Amino acid sequence: MIEKETTSTFNKSTGLPRKRFYRARAHSNPLSDSHFPVPLSPSQFDYSLHYPQLVPAASDDDNPKRIQFADIGCGFGGLLVALSTLFPDKLMIGMEIRDKVSEYVKERISALRTTNPGQYQNISVVRTNSMKYIPNYFEKGQLTKMFFLFPDPHFKEKNHRRRVISPHLLDEYAYTLAVGGIIYTITDVEELGEWMKGCLENHPMFEALMEEELENDLVVKLLTSATEEGQKVARNGGQTFQAVYRRIAPPL
Amino acid sequence: MGDAQMEEGDNTREIEVAPALIAVDPAQRSVAVAVGSDLRVYDLIGDCPVSLVDDSAKPFHSDSIRAIRYDASGKLFVSAGDDKLVKIWSTDSWFCISSVCCEKRVSAVAVSNDGLFVCFADKFGVVWVVSLKGDAENQALADKKAAPMLAHYCSIITSLEFSPDGRFIVSADRDYKIRVTVVPKNPLDGAHEIQTFCLGHSEYVSCLDFIHSPDYPHGLLISGSGDSTVRLWDVTLGSLLDTCEIGSKFDRRFTFFLKAELSATDGIEEDPCHAVTDLCTCPNGTSVALAVQSLKGIMLLNCNLSAKTLSMAKVSISLVLSLFCKDFRFSFLNSRQIHAMHGSIVLRHIYALRYRYAWLGKEES
Repeated sequence: MIEKETTSTFNKSTGLPRKRFYRARAHSNPLSDSHFPVPLSPSQFDYSLHYPQLVPAASDDDNPKRIQFADIGCGFGGLLVALSTLFPDKLMIGMEIRDKVSEYVKERISALRTTNPGQYQNISVVRTNSMKYIPNYFEKGQLTKMFFLFPDPHFKEKNHRRRVISPHLLDEYAYTLAVGGIIYTITDVEELGEWMKGCLENHPMFEALMEEELENDLVVKLLTSATEEGQKVARNGGQTFQAVYRRIAPPL
Repeated sequence: MGDAQMEEGDNTREIEVAPALIAVDPAQRSVAVAVGSDLRVYDLIGDCPVSLVDDSAKPFHSDSIRAIRYDASGKLFVSAGDDKLVKIWSTDSWFCISSVCCEKRVSAVAVSNDGLFVCFADKFGVVWVVSLKGDAENQALADKKAAPMLAHYCSIITSLEFSPDGRFIVSADRDYKIRVTVVPKNPLDGAHEIQTFCLGHSEYVSCLDFIHSPDYPHGLLISGSGDSTVRLWDVTLGSLLDTCEIGSKFDRRFTFFLKAELSATDGIEEDPCHAVTDLCTCPNGTSVALAVQSLKGIMLLNCNLSAKTLSMAKVSISLVLSLFCKDFRFSFLNSRQIHAMHGSIVLRHIYALRYRYAWLGKEES
């Protein structure tokens, strides 16, 4: 992307934020206790702040709208933006631990909402450590789709426990997903792909989707094409490894 | 639970001492006390100290003991701590029947109600389980290998409890969370099904206990936290039933007995801290005793199991005392002495200030 000389953080013609002003290292230590606000419980999450048009503050709904899709480690928000128009009636959220990157996504969504009235009202982003705080945001069985696209591989064996897909964390994702909900994972690192598939295969509350189900699922194609990371891999002619599993009831 | 309180005027302020711990045999045959790395057991029937026997490769504990408890039947006793060892003792012979190695220091232990599984949590937030099935009690066993059962991601687990009906295991951590997990048929394969989370505390959760009675066998969960509240929960739904604000219970009458913390930087007295550091429920399901940081005594709460409420009962100020309350009396540890249920047994000098109260549930004769 060739940038003009202007120092504006927003592109004047599209109204979208410019990535170069939101540059961040690819890495952020998930073990450090950063200080960002975390809701004490899912009922404390402020829906009207994130989805002002769809969930007005004063609503006294018996059956309020709840987030159903979550992009864990949403990066620059590519997947959310693509999903927003595909599923306009579903609320979705991106979780990102890096400060600058989550700022970028916030600005991006805000700009899209302004330039496309009525659209993109169903997506939002929150800066948080999803490995620690997912139960604070979502009730049991609330989500129907969870996305883990190109997560940090943590190559060294001693760092494998920092991986976002791990046997113990899958317990929490199984708790958060409704029975029948789907978890989508993809990576361009073969070893990580094997690892994630292995963790999911060995977990008693997940089962693999059949070939036909994968082909019929609109979302699967987005895994490679919608995100900046996926597009980069495609440009470089790299291979991707995906594991898509369904949450099932635990065996008796 | 890692911060130790130093006694005022103690000149070893720089050295961190693990809090002294006390556990009482549910069958009321003995009392165990852990002071640093030293484990001491007193036989209440024989009225004499007990000699522990440990033939394992690393006998007794070489570093601070962080968790001790008896199992529900009183037949087993478990001790674990900073030396990364979990020792399982038979309470008939006081012989160490098993010594389990852990990769990290251990912060909490629990024994399943049937006495078949011992669970322990390490400092990375992983809860391990070891099976005692099929082993004769007094036989020395080959040291067992533990399997990981569940984990709180990168969080120190402060308390582990099995529910009275044995259906759930509850774990609390320093990141304000309480997790309720279904106990599977074979815990060695992992406990993957989370029943619910009990969320609401705004500070580290320091202690958990179940309160139950014959009329309410499933019981309710009580938790104490650094946010100065004690909360009552339904563990099947994770719903918060009642909250007791400890801080607001103190009025002028009690401030004399509260130790105000001296600020480290300018020596000005700060408001006393009302963090709940430990709690214990009465076996008949009516009361809860609390240890509150900076309170030189204990606080009693009433629990109404049918109405599902908690309320203040009284605050008892004392340094050395055996208290009577209805059908039971309890023993507690202070800076110097322990008074056990038979009156005036004084164990030797114990040098920590953290209290742990154990309900004995026995009628006074």
